[in-house]
Amino acid sequence: MANYYDIDDILAEEELVPSVFQHNANGVGLFDSSDDTNKVEAGSRLELPFWVVRELYLRQLISIRVPPCFDTESKTREEIAADAAHVDLRSRCPYFYELGCKLAPLIGDKTIGPFLLVAFRIRYREVLIKAHTLTMTVAPKYLTLLTNEEAKLYEAGQCSIAAFKKWRIGGPRFQIAPVLGRKRKPT
Amino acid sequence: MAAASEPHASAFSAAELEFLAEDEIIEIVPNLRMDPLNFISGDFGPFRPQIATQVPLWLAVALKKRGKCTIRAPEWMSVDKLAQVLESERDSEKFQPLPFHYVEISRLLFDHAREDIPDSYMVRSLIEDIKDVRFHKIGTGLEIISKERTYALRLKNLSAMEANIVRPFITRALETFYKLSSSEMIQDSDHMPNRQAQATNRGPRLPEYQYLLLLIFSGN
Repeated sequence: MANYYDIDDILAEEELVPSVFQHNANGVGLFDSSDDTNKVEAGSRLELPFWVVRELYLRQLISIRVPPCFDTESKTREEIAADAAHVDLRSRCPYFYELGCKLAPLIGDKTIGPFLLVAFRIRYREVLIKAHTLTMTVAPKYLTLLTNEEAKLYEAGQCSIAAFKKWRIGGPRFQIAPVLGRKRKPT
Repeated sequence: MAAASEPHASAFSAAELEFLAEDEIIEIVPNLRMDPLNFISGDFGPFRPQIATQVPLWLAVALKKRGKCTIRAPEWMSVDKLAQVLESERDSEKFQPLPFHYVEISRLLFDHAREDIPDSYMVRSLIEDIKDVRFHKIGTGLEIISKERTYALRLKNLSAMEANIVRPFITRALETFYKLSSSEMIQDSDHMPNRQAQATNRGPRLPEYQYLLLLIFSGN
């Protein structure tokens, strides 16, 4: 609730989480578009955004299944165990860490926390090096691997280095305001 | 502060830091005669030809631009002292004590008063080397926080410009580590029986914190 207005929090909660309905539900056929009746059967598996899932779970209408990117036997875990720095987390789930943090207390999976921490530790080191040394030309390929949080971290480091370099080169201390840029021709 | 379009940008822009650095006192040798100048920050002068006077850096640069003085380089900016500092930077893991605004002061002096500094090429290259070594040390320091559970980081004797460069990066990194570590603690508390529930409600315990957070301006 503390992040009610934070746009990244809102977007992170938009991520889909697979869940299983425990009861029949009328009037929400929107979720299950396979047939025309406007209802969802008990036991059907659907992917819902996290904010819906949390509310329904607290009212015990659904049970949550772990999303594929956090699952214990999934490819993601294996890849991170092998080489965390180069795993393309953005295509799996751009809000990897935020979603993991929210999911973990909800479904009581105790391995998600340490797993996220380990992954972030290793990737953080990469971000640290790259943010401060790479120039804009080389960077873009690496940026596509980063989740949203890591991308912001990277950008913060990059911005401040770029600003420092620009200042160091020197140049005129005053700049013409953009409003005064062009001369107007007398018509 | 000005020109920060996103709230997480560094608190100061480089030009603002330079502005703050210009308050440092420096010695000049004027070649004009002038009565004392009275400013809010103090009184400077009277200025007599060939008599050394202490003035703020901004005043020194202004007078120099008008050709009214020569600037005397500060004593830390000699080739010997800087070579010594460079040696000790390379040998030890800590940062050597340097003037807080050494980057900004050196840049200002090189831009406006290059001929007043003896051996300016040597001095300039030494300062660049010192800056690179210190930056590299900052990098190793930042790597350490990923190894253990750190909640805060202390970097002694860091200069203003260096602190300003790493500030946004490191505050975000520490925040993310904290967030991820605390969710892990939620997992640990699920193991404990209920009678210890009050203990966990105290908030995250800090059994292993290594450093203190001092990333605001602290010279010592």
